[in-house]
Amino acid sequence: MNDKAPRNTNGEKKIIRGLGFCSTTADSNSVQVEVEAGRIIRIRPLHYDWEYRDLKPWKMNARGKSFQPSMKSLIPPYSLGYKNRIYSPNRVLYPMKRADWDPDGERNTHSRGISKYVRISWDEALDIIVGEIKRIKESYGMEAILSQSDGHGETNCVHAAHGIHRRLLSLLGGYTLQTRNTDSWEGWYWGAKHVWGCETNGFMDPVTNVIWDVAKNSDAVFFWGCDPETTPWAFDGQLASRLCYWFTDLGIKSVYVSPDLNYGGSVHADKWIPVLPNTDAALYLAIAYTWMTEGTYDREYVKTHSVGFDKFQEYVLGAEDGIPKTPKWAADKVGVPSYTIKALARYWGKHRVSIAIGNGGPGIRGPYSTEPARLQAMLLAMQGLGKPGVHQFKMLEWGLYNHKTKIPLPWPKYIPNISAVQRGWRYTDTPRQFIPKNMIHDAILRPPLTWYGTTLSRDYTDQQFIRYTYPLEDAPEIHMIWTDSPSWMTCWNDTNDFARAFRHPKIEFILAQHPWFENDCRMADLVLPTQTVMECDDFGVEVMSGQFCAVFPEPRAIEPLGESKSHFEIVSMIAGRFGLLDEFTQGRDVEGWIKTAYENCGAASDISWKELNRKGYYVVPCDENWEDHKPGLSPFYEDPENNPLSTPSGKIEFYSERLAKNFPDDRERPPVPHWVPRGNYHQEDLGCERAERYPLLVMSNHPRWRTHSQHDDMTWLREIGTCKVKGPDGYLYEPAWFNPKEAGARGIKDGDVIKIFNERGALLAGALVSERIRPGVVYIDHGSRWDPIIIGELDRGGAINTITPHNRTSRHAAGMVSSGFLAEIEKIDLDELEKRYPEAFERPYDPAAGLVRERALTTEKD
Amino acid sequence: MGKVLIIDINKCNGCHNCQIACKDEHVGNDWSPIARPQPMTGHFWTKVTDKVRGSVPKVKVSYLHSICRHCDEAPCIKACTEKAIYKRPDGIVIIDPLKCRGHKDCIRECPYEDVIWFNEELNISQKCTFCAHLIDKGWNETRCSDACPTGAFTFGEEEELKELISMAELSEIDLKTKPRVYFIGLPKRFIGATLFDPEEDEVIIGADVSIINASNKKEISIKTDDFGDFWVDGLSPDNYTIIIKKDGYAEKRLDADLADKDVNLGDIPMAREDK
Repeated sequence: MNDKAPRNTNGEKKIIRGLGFCSTTADSNSVQVEVEAGRIIRIRPLHYDWEYRDLKPWKMNARGKSFQPSMKSLIPPYSLGYKNRIYSPNRVLYPMKRADWDPDGERNTHSRGISKYVRISWDEALDIIVGEIKRIKESYGMEAILSQSDGHGETNCVHAAHGIHRRLLSLLGGYTLQTRNTDSWEGWYWGAKHVWGCETNGFMDPVTNVIWDVAKNSDAVFFWGCDPETTPWAFDGQLASRLCYWFTDLGIKSVYVSPDLNYGGSVHADKWIPVLPNTDAALYLAIAYTWMTEGTYDREYVKTHSVGFDKFQEYVLGAEDGIPKTPKWAADKVGVPSYTIKALARYWGKHRVSIAIGNGGPGIRGPYSTEPARLQAMLLAMQGLGKPGVHQFKMLEWGLYNHKTKIPLPWPKYIPNISAVQRGWRYTDTPRQFIPKNMIHDAILRPPLTWYGTTLSRDYTDQQFIRYTYPLEDAPEIHMIWTDSPSWMTCWNDTNDFARAFRHPKIEFILAQHPWFENDCRMADLVLPTQTVMECDDFGVEVMSGQFCAVFPEPRAIEPLGESKSHFEIVSMIAGRFGLLDEFTQGRDVEGWIKTAYENCGAASDISWKELNRKGYYVVPCDENWEDHKPGLSPFYEDPENNPLSTPSGKIEFYSERLAKNFPDDRERPPVPHWVPRGNYHQEDLGCERAERYPLLVMSNHPRWRTHSQHDDMTWLREIGTCKVKGPDGYLYEPAWFNPKEAGARGIKDGDVIKIFNERGALLAGALVSERIRPGVVYIDHGSRWDPIIIGELDRGGAINTITPHNRTSRHAAGMVSSGFLAEIEKIDLDELEKRYPEAFERPYDPAAGLVRERALTTEKD
Repeated sequence: MGKVLIIDINKCNGCHNCQIACKDEHVGNDWSPIARPQPMTGHFWTKVTDKVRGSVPKVKVSYLHSICRHCDEAPCIKACTEKAIYKRPDGIVIIDPLKCRGHKDCIRECPYEDVIWFNEELNISQKCTFCAHLIDKGWNETRCSDACPTGAFTFGEEEELKELISMAELSEIDLKTKPRVYFIGLPKRFIGATLFDPEEDEVIIGADVSIINASNKKEISIKTDDFGDFWVDGLSPDNYTIIIKKDGYAEKRLDADLADKDVNLGDIPMAREDK
């Protein structure tokens, strides 16, 4: 019996929509939201076949078994329980102004983060905003306004956050843009691109049909710093989980290389190689050494498909520096016995191995992440990259940028695309003055700045050789920040320094528009209440699930909470005050934009608007010829001359002439990748002097129970043992994982409240003592909400990024570093701390949902 | 005849969707007369617990599930003096929220852990209903099975699921209560180690390993793999003797107590045989 009742009858409402958290238009995690009496009663997976009984999904056959998409969307728990987030006690319900910030008088920038807030009306808020923009424009020029606008948020189209104000600022004369660094791809972008091209992100591209090829031809998949049971959740859902089970069914060996036995390894690993964080470069070098000395790599391929191998060989074998990179040499550095390194090298040398990555591990977030990322690409090349069964593929972001070549699974007939209609963030139109996101604190506190590359994920490698400065010679410094993605404190680098920058008198006005009073909102002078995706009419597409592509009209599920308005409405109101409403909206209202999205998404010729609304969704058929598309880099493997890579030589570059020519003195990203444990930019390894005081390596992963800074208030997730640890004071602390050996050495017991610290600051956490983490490491997810005890010094919320390294990846690589750094842990005396900082410990708090807006409110003004 | 739920632990990835879906359905929603609302926090009509097994680097996680078994010989039904608990024709056991008077006899008598929860505010016992309010509306599965991404939860008619049910394991308690919730792949014990030659600095591949159960003398024989590893799961919680043989090396005998936990014997150095 069909368990799906008709929609919009008997006062009930059922809405089908995406509930992924990519924040561009490419959505996933499609759900049915069921509403009764104006309230969401349930959120459940979409069953694609509810309205389309004759769907013909793709089917991958391999080794006598087959794999098909599920007829249900494979949503993660935070989409399922999203009701918690909608009705969070931390929602911003009306405009809030910092009580001791007076635009006409004393601004008290030093008390940001401490001040209480008062309720004001929308009219008052708009007056302030318009007045401040005009004042800034007259005093400094429009480029004194910084737009903090990028990903990390809900996924909408017409009402999208993430830069919706940029259109208005452009109309008003310009702005300074915070450019988004490639925060989950750093090593690939700044490193691997110099080896194999693979523009513009740096991980292997194309990955077309790679998973099918792996299923047919690989003996093993090495999950290298990859957690297929965590990072795919937000943008893609849980198809990765089913694929991992299938690989095991097919007899493909799953080897997990990471300091933790991550959630994927916990259920899928046949072998766990527990490396110390950010030491993978040494491991790769020792494997290369084994292959070179034992002749177990593809010499012919290297000869025909690469350049510069001799120089790499000189370094590996020791001719360059007198140090052969033997397994013994690597063993102590990596924390893995040399006999195991040799066994791993030999296994890899005689089997077809593909590597799965997933926005984790050494290839992205460590100091000098360029080096392990480059080495991974080179080792794959030494085993015949592009050969059947020899690939790199990501376990998430399938169909990124709406590119089919970024889908390693069978293709859809087309990818429905509404990016042209998205009112928010766009990749294009970068203004002349911009600051990389990971250098905002330096831009405010220590100008002028110089760096190389725009840092934009869609820019080509050539761009990395262009030098930029801030401020431009004829442009002002920034004096106002307008943010619609307020997540610096929990997600970026050395954010205690961000806190200092926020409080600098130079920053005269901080404006935030956000549904929840969290993280950077605590630093804003004015916070505008914003609707969630459930509260506005929009249009959406499922793109990244790897299962099906689909199209949805997305009518609102519920009426807006409090006085909240959509991002589009908010900026429209401000535009209206400037007399620019028509210019801003381009003469189209919300309904007009929704219709435009439908007309241009690609599905309009397949289904009428009326039919689409009647059914609630449309599923795009799969590409009938999907099996014909050649897998991954197999064309390059088969004929490198006619299918060159995008490197200058068209081949794999073991030695980069381009790096040698542009940065001849760079010892931290030399032309041949090196083991760079420390240097001018970072001293964050166990062999350096700082390790005497801070003897543990911090590993910070993409969070399991959050999407970056989102979802930390979800009550039902917070009850899960690995999500939060309940302290004796009833506060739910962010878990810090370490091995019983480290706990024992410090007298720490499971469940104790501890402090993680280095010279950049300290944060509290709940001890999670586990065999899932190797000794020498403390592991804590990023994104736990910031709840400062002493701003810039001590955080109770467990925001690990407050103490991550300040500097960029290396001198000429302007990436971010937020994992693989030094710290120490110790048990704390909570009572003593509470006595010293009564204010911080007495703030209103709801253990179920955590921080509540009341903590920052004074008396309400009606 | 009747409804059953089969949970395959081998397919559970630990996402907790079942636990969250149950809360989404029952917290803040009143489905009387089948169920009144579940408290916002602290109650888990279906509950997932992670069990970390072994030690670095031989570790696995098994996710265990607590949920009402909807027993055909339900001790709770017999225990309830108010006769508030009943079995429906489709096998579902319901605590009638209107008849329950909060005596907690059902909680005391239920032989399973974390199944019946006491709602202090409403003064009633509460538990999984197999989403009977939805089944009655024509749904063919529960919220937890609908939300399961891997197919670890299978809900349906007993008649149609005989094959899966036959793979399930029943405990001694189950034999008395006749549950309608079945588990496949409940974790047993594992034992593992890595063999290496300290002089050669090499793992030892292809060594013969015999794992002998000390009580019943049953023996499992395997060879170490490309990483010098042996790792055998599915063992009963007993004492074992491990005999390792490899040409050129002295035979090694080890004992392992798997009564309480899985055992990683660690990296075992093998000495060359005296010539």
